[in-house]
Amino acid sequence: MPKLLVCYKWVLNEQDIKIRPEDLSLDSSRAKGKISDFDRNAIEEASLIVEQQGGTVDALSYGTPAVKLSVKDALSRGPNRLLWVGDPGADDADALVIANVLAAAIRKAGPYDLILCGEGSSDMFYQQTPARLAALLGLPCVTFVSKMTLDGAVLKATRKLGECTEEVSVTGPAVVSVLSEINKPRIPSLKQVLGAAKKPSEELPIASLGLTPDELQPKAVRKSPKGFLMNRKNVVFKESDAAANVAKLVAALAAEGLR
Amino acid sequence: MSILLTEEQQLIGQSARDFAKEYLEPMVVEMDHTGQYPAAVVKQLAAQDFLGLFLAGEYGGAEAGYVSLVEVVENLSRVAPAVASIMVNHALAAYAIQRWGSPEQKKNCLPKLASGEVLGAFAVFEHGPTPGVGAGALMATKLPEGWALKGTKAFVRNAGAAGAYVVLACTDPAAGAKSLAAFIVNAKASGLTVGAPYETMGLKGCPMADLAFDNVMVADTAILGGSTDGSAIMTETLALASLAEAAQTVGIGQAAVEHAAAYSKTRIQFGRPIASLQAIQTLLAEVAADCHLARLGLRYAAQLMDDGQPFLVEAAMVKQALARYGAKMLIDTVQVEGGFGYSEFMPLPRLFRDITGTTLLEAPADYPEKTIAAALLA
Repeated sequence: MPKLLVCYKWVLNEQDIKIRPEDLSLDSSRAKGKISDFDRNAIEEASLIVEQQGGTVDALSYGTPAVKLSVKDALSRGPNRLLWVGDPGADDADALVIANVLAAAIRKAGPYDLILCGEGSSDMFYQQTPARLAALLGLPCVTFVSKMTLDGAVLKATRKLGECTEEVSVTGPAVVSVLSEINKPRIPSLKQVLGAAKKPSEELPIASLGLTPDELQPKAVRKSPKGFLMNRKNVVFKESDAAANVAKLVAALAAEGLR
Repeated sequence: MSILLTEEQQLIGQSARDFAKEYLEPMVVEMDHTGQYPAAVVKQLAAQDFLGLFLAGEYGGAEAGYVSLVEVVENLSRVAPAVASIMVNHALAAYAIQRWGSPEQKKNCLPKLASGEVLGAFAVFEHGPTPGVGAGALMATKLPEGWALKGTKAFVRNAGAAGAYVVLACTDPAAGAKSLAAFIVNAKASGLTVGAPYETMGLKGCPMADLAFDNVMVADTAILGGSTDGSAIMTETLALASLAEAAQTVGIGQAAVEHAAAYSKTRIQFGRPIASLQAIQTLLAEVAADCHLARLGLRYAAQLMDDGQPFLVEAAMVKQALARYGAKMLIDTVQVEGGFGYSEFMPLPRLFRDITGTTLLEAPADYPEKTIAAALLA
């Protein structure tokens, strides 16, 4: 029976984040958390595999102590057990730190036959965690997977690349990153939501993972993210001759470089 | 007691929002145009456990409670109030059976209602002023082999789609409404016919029709509680209806104010978005506040139900408040959107028609004041 792990990130819901018009800074004071969109696909895929062929799925997340708020949400989506690492410094963590923490947690809780991640988080979208994780764990990494099957220890996956696809076969264990098109994440039913409270969850204290201060030191520093506003040109062609208006519009677009 | 949602209740609300986006948004406009009963969506409601939401686990229910019920109803109503109406009327029948049913009745009926195998309906109203009074009142006559039902129930929602009706009937013509009894009636019972569907102003897709009973025979075991418990069953179940309809009204109001707020930021008049005008801000703020306060009131009453406390007066207060200003929320939001908002290609006209139904249909408009005054004057 395969033992799967799925990693997910608890992010702020981008729809709740407002842009302050005075300086374009982001106001997230009323933003609620959610499981990163692409990670929902990873959770769904892992859960489907186990529901179809048996086995277990653990879920793992690293974030600020607020990540604890995600426990029931994540467990309602299928995983059998949840592990989380709460760290007040996680807000500043870069992709390197995130991978270091996840890898240390996996070494402690594993081994696993397959580790699934979303293609990137819906806040930063670095797309680095699966590859870094695989490197740290010494495992093969299969990225941008749009379709996959697990037959014993053999993973067969379809990778979606620019304008082509690639069929890959890997003997596990391995790290996989999935695309959003791989499945449609379930909407947890009431029984699944209420049943989540009965599933085990455990905090892995960051201090228990044996990481050095250097491994927890972000190398990439994120500075004041700002909103982006597109200023409209507010050009109106409103002559009585509609054909002339169209001609002027086409000429204006052409002058802007639109072909 | 806390009126803040628990983590599970928040997740249940999120599931309902996601469900509405996934399954209701794509079909709601078409359903409004055709008035066709959304059978496929009702199956999906069952798959999400919404049809057995508060029913006991031993009958296949989710045991999620009444705060969860109003949370789900509000969130479904933000998108498709008619679908929420189908769920609510089903819930009223399920509630009556779970609350007053014998162990045998519960065992026979509730698993089918929880799974969605059978849709329920609660049939209270008649063409007369109150059940059991006037020509055409549904009368139940005791016979050696059971009860014979003869007469008409009016404005029954889920009529035709339901497989089981909880029906109030008068057992003593002399006593009128004081001798009401509630019966579980199979939709396939001989002598029961569903009238032509009403062409309604709103909530299209939730079927509504009269039920005609021509000496429909039901067994003694079909009666819920005792032969004079009908009045109590009606009162308490309609109090739950008040809460559910309040949740629908709040959901519609919330959807309308969010739509109007978004519109006001894009509608440019006199060189600036109308959102910058104080008159517009006032209209939006009043509707948002009305929704918020009503939501607190209905969650409070629903929490009383979850705690097993009396809730009739609190439910009546919520009903009364929303009967007074529910429709005004749509008047004000349509006002914000002006000529565009009045057009059927925008959602507010549909919501306007729907909110008219959710503020008056299931519980009569004069009901809340009587309940509140009775408690004050007792």
